[in-house]
This record gives sequence, C-alpha cells and structure tokens, in this order.
Amino acid sequence: MARRTGGLNVLPRLNQQRVSARLTAAGSTISPMSKPKAAVADDLRLAAAVFRKDRKATADFVNRYAGPIYSYLSRRLIPRADLVDDLVQEVFLAAWESLGAFQGQASLRAWLLGIARHKVEDHYRARLRDPEPLAGQETETDALLSVEPPIDTLVDRDRLERKTKRVLEELPEAYSAVLLWRYWEHRSAQEMARCTGKTAKAIERMLARAREQFKRKWQDE
Amino acid sequence: MNSSEPNERFLEDLAGALDSDAAESAAPSKLKAKVYSALARRQQESGPLLGLRETHADGRGLCVHEQVVRIAPVGSKAGAFNCCSLCHARVLAEALDNPPIYWANCPYVGFKQS
Repeated sequence: MARRTGGLNVLPRLNQQRVSARLTAAGSTISPMSKPKAAVADDLRLAAAVFRKDRKATADFVNRYAGPIYSYLSRRLIPRADLVDDLVQEVFLAAWESLGAFQGQASLRAWLLGIARHKVEDHYRARLRDPEPLAGQETETDALLSVEPPIDTLVDRDRLERKTKRVLEELPEAYSAVLLWRYWEHRSAQEMARCTGKTAKAIERMLARAREQFKRKWQDE
Repeated sequence: MNSSEPNERFLEDLAGALDSDAAESAAPSKLKAKVYSALARRQQESGPLLGLRETHADGRGLCVHEQVVRIAPVGSKAGAFNCCSLCHARVLAEALDNPPIYWANCPYVGFKQS
C-alpha cells in the first residue's frame, strides 16, 4: 500500500496540538454562517478532529469522501479497475500525512480530489514511460477516419459510458492513459512531455496512434 | 485542415459529455472499512488515538465495546486503545459488502448504511 512519507508522523506532539488548535480556531471564527462559510467551518472542524486522531471523526471523514474519490478514480483508471481500491486508500493516507497543511481555502472534497489527481497523474506518467506498443498496421496519422462523432445521437449516457469504457479497456494501457490524460484531464502534449521526459513530438505521435486505435475500435463496436 | 482535428473533436466531445454530468457512484462499504482501518493504523504510528473519554466528551457516540473501555477503571493509555483492531465487526466489514453487524455507533455499521 502507500509508503510512509513523513508529514504528520514525524511532527512532534506539540506541533500536532498547535495545528489542531489552528484548524479548530479557523473553523469556529467563521461567522455569520452563510452556506459556503458553514461548509468551510464544517470542513475545518472535521479536519481538526481527524488531526487529533478522533476515531469517530476519522470514520466520518472516510464515509463522507470515499465516494467522490472512488468515483473519480474509477473513471480515470480505465482499464485498471484493479488499482482503484489501492489508490483510494493511498489518497486517504496521503491526506493524513498532509492534513496539517489544510487551510480550508478549498473544500476538503476538492482538496482530496487534488491529491487523487496527483495519484492519477503518477499512474499515467508510469504508463507512458512503459515501452510503447508496436504500431503494427497502423497509419501515422488518423486521416483515414471519417465517421462523424456519434455523441449527439447517443442519447443514452450509460450506453455511451459503457462503450467508452469497453473501448479504453481494449487499448494498450499506454494509449488509454495518454487519451485520458489529454482529454479527460485536459493536459497538453507539452505538459505531458514535461512530466514524462519525452518530447512533445513523441507525445503527439503517441496521441495520434491512440486516437486512431480508439476510433477504429469505437467503429467496430 | 489538420487530419487529426475531427478525432480530436470527437474525443473532446466524448470526454466532455461523460464528465459533465457524471453520477457519483458510492464506494463499496468493504473499501471504506479497509481504508478506515488502514487510516487508524497509520494514525497510531505517531502515537495513540484520542482517548475514548475525550471522544465521548466531544459528543461522539461510542459503541458498546468502547463504552465498556471508557467506564472501566483503566489508565488513559488503555482509554486510547483502538477497540476496532480486535473486533469481529471490522473483520466482517472488510470482507463483506453487507456484513451482518448492527450495533449502534460502530463505524463499520455506518459504512454499510451510507
């Protein structure tokens, strides 16, 4: 599971008490309670209680946020559904390690999703570093593909989602990772190149091959 | 026009359509149970959990086992003991998605109810 990375574990007890007090104070001084402010105060109170190692607050923390994290990771880790559970756990453990730094500027949910996003990008980075699948009979560009996007005609969202999942699952992992990173996480080829140590051109070529395979399998479905 | 543009648009539209109103799926209770257990273990690596007396004083409900530990004439160290680590509810909740556990204020029961 997740490795231990310092953070709270190495904080002296005094420092833990100080951070916990800061979180609690920040949570209690927000007034009057407009809805967003009340939500921030609630987040800060929960973070402070988890930081104090209150077991019930910790259970509440997991109960509230496991769903959004699980949902996000399930959508982003196709075709590696087998990794989702481990990564959900890693997100919570990483959150615990850096909970002292939580300021309440974003909601706890957004903060946790940020950690999850980093984990997903670590996964994509590792996949893109793997040797690329053999191109076989594929063409270098996706010029041959001419079927119009059927998005508008596929009104059944569930069907669309299932089909996308199936197609992504059939692709080599590097291809599904590069497509998810580009189109679902909105990262540019330059950004992906920086993260992986490849050139932008190499990423563009990989994207072109991935798009072509995706579209071909989509049409075959 | 760049030959890849239609496919770019196709994937952009597809991602947009799927992400825009993505329904949030609930995490399996078994997963929540495992995550909670792992988190409690990790918390204990840097010292004991908050004592049961303090937890109770904060207005949080304790399960029947925790109540016994709380009122027992034991030191504060025992009061910080993680009863769940020995409890069969944890074992069942980590193994089953609808475990046959029902008592009040048990976190593992809470996972299956939400």
